[in-house]
Amino acid sequence: MTEIVMQNLGRDFGDFTALADMDLTIGSGEFVALLGPSGCGKSTTMNMIAGMLDPSHGEIRFDGRNMNGVPMAKRGVGFVFQNYAIFTHMTVRDNLAYGLRAQGVGRAETDRRVGDIAELLQLTPMLERKAAGLSVNILQRLAIGRSAVVEPAIFLLDEPLSNVDAAFRAVMRAELKSLQRQFRQTMVYVTHDQLEAMTMADRIAVMDHGKLLQVGTPLEVYNHPADTFVARFIGAPGMNLLRGTLRGGDTGHTVDLGAAGHCPVPTRQGGEVLFGFRPEQVHPDAAGPLQMTVATVERIGARTILHLAAGEHRAKAVLDSETPVPDQGEPFRFAVTPDDVRLFDPETERAI
Amino acid sequence: MTDMTTNDMGATASPQDAAVPGGSEEKRLGLWLTLPAQLLVIFIALFPILMQVYISLTDWSPLDGIPWYRAYELWIGLLNYADLANDPRFWSAMWRTCIVMAICVPVQFLLGLGLAILFVDDFPGRRVLYSTILVPMMVVPAVAGYMFFMLFQSGGPVNDILSFFAGRPVTIAWLSDPDLALFATIVSDIWQWTPLMFLILLAGMVSVPQDQQMAAVLLGASWWRRFRTIVLPRMKTIIIIAVAIRVIENFKVFDNFYIMTGGGPGVATETISIYIYKVTQQELIWGYVAAIALAILIVLSVVSALAIKKLRSA
Repeated sequence: MTEIVMQNLGRDFGDFTALADMDLTIGSGEFVALLGPSGCGKSTTMNMIAGMLDPSHGEIRFDGRNMNGVPMAKRGVGFVFQNYAIFTHMTVRDNLAYGLRAQGVGRAETDRRVGDIAELLQLTPMLERKAAGLSVNILQRLAIGRSAVVEPAIFLLDEPLSNVDAAFRAVMRAELKSLQRQFRQTMVYVTHDQLEAMTMADRIAVMDHGKLLQVGTPLEVYNHPADTFVARFIGAPGMNLLRGTLRGGDTGHTVDLGAAGHCPVPTRQGGEVLFGFRPEQVHPDAAGPLQMTVATVERIGARTILHLAAGEHRAKAVLDSETPVPDQGEPFRFAVTPDDVRLFDPETERAI
Repeated sequence: MTDMTTNDMGATASPQDAAVPGGSEEKRLGLWLTLPAQLLVIFIALFPILMQVYISLTDWSPLDGIPWYRAYELWIGLLNYADLANDPRFWSAMWRTCIVMAICVPVQFLLGLGLAILFVDDFPGRRVLYSTILVPMMVVPAVAGYMFFMLFQSGGPVNDILSFFAGRPVTIAWLSDPDLALFATIVSDIWQWTPLMFLILLAGMVSVPQDQQMAAVLLGASWWRRFRTIVLPRMKTIIIIAVAIRVIENFKVFDNFYIMTGGGPGVATETISIYIYKVTQQELIWGYVAAIALAILIVLSVVSALAIKKLRSA
């Protein structure tokens, strides 16, 4: 259990800024997901926490202790690599015992702790087997066990689920979350999959182009994205953003969306805006203020996704499959509750 | 969670998965298409061996004036092999070759490994030094022999350097003292072939997965523990290959030894290759030479077979 503080943390590779001025505090025992597309700086951040990479500027503190220059072996950090980095020439037992032996833990103690962790992760039946021939999900658990057995204060996971198939990924998401509750370690989880971040993390740090864009609980980043990138990145599909003009009137403010119509909003500022709403928050309404044409209908079991167009506007709507939907090419009239509308500045792309 | 997929990471396609193309028709066509190459291989490998076996069973020599294919007129059965078993010069040459090998290969291995450790991480000037270290390997062995012949002259640079440190003139007769001559030839071999060992071992070391080494360090492993438990075991295959290559090559040392000492003084540096050369060129008893060559072929085949067996189990 360790608190991680990153202050003004940055890393350059020549002219390229991999991470710029990151300020983030990860609480003791917290599960934080670093979420972003590839190249956003999330792995760079992780590698600096682990000590594999030195920061260009700024500092990292564990429980107030400055970690700059502390070698990675001395940081007490457990790291689960994307490809697990299992020692395939050793047995499962030797893999699990590696950290304890390296740290000079006695033989009896090592055997006991390896036995315990193997029991916890259901690895006991294959302790004496060579790691080389094991299946991906066993390697996955072995990688976690190998790091967990030395009881690191901080646990770092680098896209641990990107190599496993979709069905197993769902199982592992639940598994990892429950493991974290048992280990009670501070966990930092790097992923580009917003679903993993949403389902597991206590808080999500959304990153792009080396910048930390927003930190918050999964619902905060979902409901109140700080900018258009977060709005589009979180959610499947992401938030709809339509360019419009905010106008004041006697009956309140409305956003003029041109071909798509007008929508009342609870705000006072005027001018050009990006009008954002979640596809899930589209309410079909024959008398609704917004109208777009159905371009495609995607039926995916319990839900139906409508691809909508009106002039230059493109949007998606997610409806449950019971709702009657118009056919392709027909107009679709709908409403969005004013409280669900998020407005963004088209210049800065920040939330208004 | 108890479900297990059969999605083994390490699994490769089983032989059954590889499509068996066609039946006997296609097989026959394949045989015909590869026949020229197969015949060539048989001719290159098999013919000289059979010829050697044949000649080794006769007392044939080019001086007798009969062509080699009529060597059966001088048939002596296994007499050459009986002679070989009782030839002290052959056995001492064998023994000497083994000593040279027993010194050269471990020294080259340790030096090569040490250099590989130094060169596996980047440092300023690494590329230039790397190329420099590989130079000896590219020198023609006969030229290397000549260089060391010059270096080890009693008035040569080696003695000059020793004189400088000793503070008085040193005039060691390196190449005419039996023990020192062997030492000098071994030095030349180490100089020339350590780079090959270094090159192979470095390639092996670079291919050890970085993330596994990182994982070991993150788990608290010291440099030595990481080297011993991750790097070395993962280099096992390449180490076997490197050592096997050097053992086989060392068994055949000739050029530098011949030029530096001619096998002398006396027979002090006479390796098996030099012995064969002398018997071939000076005594012209080719039936006997064929017997020696076969004996060596058998020894080297055994060494190779052992190495291959090791590789299979690694």
